[in-house]
Amino acid sequence: MSLNPSIPSGPLEAKWTKYCSEIKLVSPANKRKFEIIVVGTGLAGASASAALAELGYNVKTFCIQDSPRRAHSIAAQGGINAAKNYQGDGDSIWRLFYDTIKGGDFRAREANVYRLAELSVKIIDHCVAQGVPFAREYGGLLANRSFGGALVSRTFYARGQTGQQLLLGAYSAMLRQVKAGRVSLFPRREVLDIVLVKGQARGIVARNLVTGELESYAAHAVVLATGGYGNIYFLSTNGMNSNVSASFRAYKRGAFFGNPCFVQIHPTCIPVSGHYQSKLTLMSESLRNDGRVWVPKDPKDKRRPEDIPESDRDYFLERLYPSYGNLVPRDVASRATKAICDQGRGVGPTGYAVYLDLSDAIKRDGKEVIEKKYGNLFEMYERITGVSPYVSPMMIYPAVHYVMGGLWVDYNLMTTIKGLFSLGEANFSDHGANRLGASALMQGLADGYFIIPYTIGGYLASDSFPPVSPSQGEFEDSKKEVSEFIRRLLSVKGRRTVTDFHRSLGSIMWEYAGMERSDEGLRKAKGMVEELREEYWQNLLLTGGEREFNQNLSKALRVADYLEFAGLIIEDALTRRESCGCHFNVAYQTPEHEPLRDDQNCAYVAAWEYGGKERPPILHKEPLVFENVTPGIRSYK
Amino acid sequence: MNWFIIFITSSVGKKLVMAFTGLCFVLFIIVHLFGNLTIFLGKESFLSYVEDLHRSHKYLIPLAEVFLLIFGLLHIVFGLVLYIQNLKARPISYNLRKNAGGRTVGSGTMPYTGLFLLIFISLHLVRFRFVEKITQNDFTILINTFNNLGYVIFYILAMVALGLHLSHGIWSSFQTFGVNHPKYNGLIEKGGILLSILFAVGFASIPIYIFTKLS
Amino acid sequence: MNGTINLTLKVWRQPGPGQKGKFEIYQAKDINIHMSFLEMLDVVNEELILSGKDPIAFDHDCREGICGMCGAVVNGKAHGPKKGTTLCQLHMRHFRDGDTIVIEPFRSKAFPIIRDLVVDRSAFDEIIIAGGYISVNTGSAPDANSIPVPPQNAELAMDAAACIGCGACVAQCPNGSAMLFVASKVSHLALLPQGRPEAAKRVLSMTGRMKELGFGNCGNERECEAVCPKQISISHIARLNREFLKAGLFSRET
Repeated sequence: MSLNPSIPSGPLEAKWTKYCSEIKLVSPANKRKFEIIVVGTGLAGASASAALAELGYNVKTFCIQDSPRRAHSIAAQGGINAAKNYQGDGDSIWRLFYDTIKGGDFRAREANVYRLAELSVKIIDHCVAQGVPFAREYGGLLANRSFGGALVSRTFYARGQTGQQLLLGAYSAMLRQVKAGRVSLFPRREVLDIVLVKGQARGIVARNLVTGELESYAAHAVVLATGGYGNIYFLSTNGMNSNVSASFRAYKRGAFFGNPCFVQIHPTCIPVSGHYQSKLTLMSESLRNDGRVWVPKDPKDKRRPEDIPESDRDYFLERLYPSYGNLVPRDVASRATKAICDQGRGVGPTGYAVYLDLSDAIKRDGKEVIEKKYGNLFEMYERITGVSPYVSPMMIYPAVHYVMGGLWVDYNLMTTIKGLFSLGEANFSDHGANRLGASALMQGLADGYFIIPYTIGGYLASDSFPPVSPSQGEFEDSKKEVSEFIRRLLSVKGRRTVTDFHRSLGSIMWEYAGMERSDEGLRKAKGMVEELREEYWQNLLLTGGEREFNQNLSKALRVADYLEFAGLIIEDALTRRESCGCHFNVAYQTPEHEPLRDDQNCAYVAAWEYGGKERPPILHKEPLVFENVTPGIRSYK
Repeated sequence: MNWFIIFITSSVGKKLVMAFTGLCFVLFIIVHLFGNLTIFLGKESFLSYVEDLHRSHKYLIPLAEVFLLIFGLLHIVFGLVLYIQNLKARPISYNLRKNAGGRTVGSGTMPYTGLFLLIFISLHLVRFRFVEKITQNDFTILINTFNNLGYVIFYILAMVALGLHLSHGIWSSFQTFGVNHPKYNGLIEKGGILLSILFAVGFASIPIYIFTKLS
Repeated sequence: MNGTINLTLKVWRQPGPGQKGKFEIYQAKDINIHMSFLEMLDVVNEELILSGKDPIAFDHDCREGICGMCGAVVNGKAHGPKKGTTLCQLHMRHFRDGDTIVIEPFRSKAFPIIRDLVVDRSAFDEIIIAGGYISVNTGSAPDANSIPVPPQNAELAMDAAACIGCGACVAQCPNGSAMLFVASKVSHLALLPQGRPEAAKRVLSMTGRMKELGFGNCGNERECEAVCPKQISISHIARLNREFLKAGLFSRET
């Protein structure tokens, strides 16, 4: 099977407009006859549900939480980028496009990224109209802040709760469509299979998390907006329920998986405090606008940080990257932090932390200004650690935060399965090998509000759809398979808990497939994961039954998928013979410890096809063609 | 009038009725207290006040009484409905429930002080309003009543209940009408409590005064 | 500041909706004081699973105080003893060695129990469905800066919009009212010029729906703002009341 990204022809700036005006349309009367399943209610899923329903489609929306408002987009703090150039500081769509593609270390599709930058403008308009309370200047117009990887101020924000406000906007828009009768909500459902009929995605099998029953739903198209798989590392900033299962089951049904090894490690998280740690909390990257990252020059310096004079501090990001300083992209900042700690220069009880210090900004702008900007973040830090950042600098350490990898999609956001679309973090499309701050919200909403409503129409208008029913053979077979899988898990009756397995998997992945990778380590990890997976199916200890509210079982299903999916991440990392963005293989680095790309051989998207049970996955390469930008060395010095 | 019924029987509407009727009672209480305090000026002042009141406001008094009766019934009926609905909203109560810092003695006892005040007002009316005033006048009724220690204690308790009820009620009525502004919140909250104390002390001083001085 | 504490937990266990529940006693030993409350429950649950017992079911997701999924009444207060904090952000350093902790689900007629500490809060979604939005179709908005909003209004709107929909206000309210939840949405949208066109309709339909769903009536007891993890003020309830008066008496909506 050959990969066709379906990128429209024409000049970059005109591609999307031209495409939209040429795409086949579904008549209003026919839209009513189409059913669309949307899985996930984060920014992408909720906005897609709302926009599709507004057009007249019948939408069924599923989420794992008790309410669609809980999706983990809600935790995004810093902001959303848009090329509005309200600050008159030289921003433009082109510049946002270029920053994003450069930030992604030239491993993303030009056409997709340009479209994203183009649509960013409309997102802000729409969200303001919805009542999202963005920060304002004294005159009542919108305020902006700057963010990592950019030299302009283009980030719109609502205190440190931008994700929450944007999500509630999309959630409300979706609920408005529930009232209009065009969206039906199915909360507390975990999607465990995608059902294909005659090669088209025509439905799903979902487990009702309250009753434990398996339910089938049929539709004309299925949209997966199920977020990322960062939780495979056990400790991440993802919500506890975020998982790869729906995407992974889609992969097993024939959807290719794009760049699974591109995992972003966020530099500013609250460090691990003990073995019991269940997740990590992010401190918004926006803190790097006013904060300075440092460690004592002398690793043996045990003074309190506030007592260490300026001359004894090493502001290592400013030293290493004089032009971007503390605002270097996430992957760069994370690796620099890790390198410092690996040299034994870290601080805190574990030595795996560095200081993020806002005392200069407090001195410069006054406590009030800083409190207004970051008050809630400071409170959050104090709540978790018991230390006030007004008194003592924060301690931070990198943690898994976001995955650029995801289901491979074409320009229409359609996977390699006809009628199966993927949006937001769940797809691989726009961020290449590294995502810039405040761009995830932008992508989720662009996909949901402005792209899928067009492209799904094009698909629905140009294909034929024989009637299907959720009780027909394909659905029953799929249900049987899922049910068999669950029963097998429940019958293991071993002695180790799911969490224990998950923690082991996480530490293998963090150690060998995390921030810094080597062929040797990856191979070792492959063996270890394999062993762990074998043990899982022989020694897993579960309580309770299938037909009940059983959180332990839900988790076991997710971890079972992670244990399989881990192999794919490792395989992808091993196959990519270069370092780029977040994928850092020690064999490919510059003398200054920066990633060394190989544009000659590695300018491709790795799209993995499921090879069958116990058989290796098959790699397909989508070559990345750069017609408008020249991949350069990504320097932030 | 359908829209009006919908309006006042809604969740907020019922509260508005409680707040409106409650505030009207507060106005009545102010007048009532000032009148009653004339007892401290002596028997003649008190009786002439009573006479004046009923002579010069021949039509106003019965009208006011009708309104007080209607408002009273509304306050009771709506209060009861709210009480029952609120009980139903939590069919299984907590094994352990603590005050998180918002609730006061006044706000926590509204239905109970309200019920007690209902009993008090009924007896109060039987004792002072619906009573033959040919062989006795308002002053003698007053003296006879408050020479009884039991009555005095009952009245004082009722006035404590009134103070508690209003310590929440006055502020709460303003809040229900949406009067909440950082510039005035202090005045409303503190003023409400001050007024409640003044009412309780003012009214309670009468039986104490009569019991100790005029018996 | 390091150390561990030992605790006695008294936890509400209920196998399913409408079934009989009861309190069970568990010992939580060697609890690191830097753990979050939910991590402490994780530790207890791991032990329960290892001894073949069903773990305590509780809802949780982001564990950073923003998704609003977690919540229980801990020692008589929704989200526990610390002000402005969700259960997931409550750390064990706020408890003392030897403490007994009573953990109950949020109790409200409108929040039926699903299992143990897990309740069904879809009633909150229902209230938003009734009108918690601005009706604007995708793609039809004017330029964002064409609608100036006074920054103090934007800030107040943001105060209200910070609501995470956790349900603590209902759980703590002596009357089981959802007024703070409703008010936070009504107030957020009423403060913005974009929200004015539907303001009257919104306040009437949302408060009406709240009543239908079986929530109690606001008694101005202020318990909600005292437990609200986002410390949303009851001044937003006052704004709702104003909006309600205006809408009920002077608009054409009923």
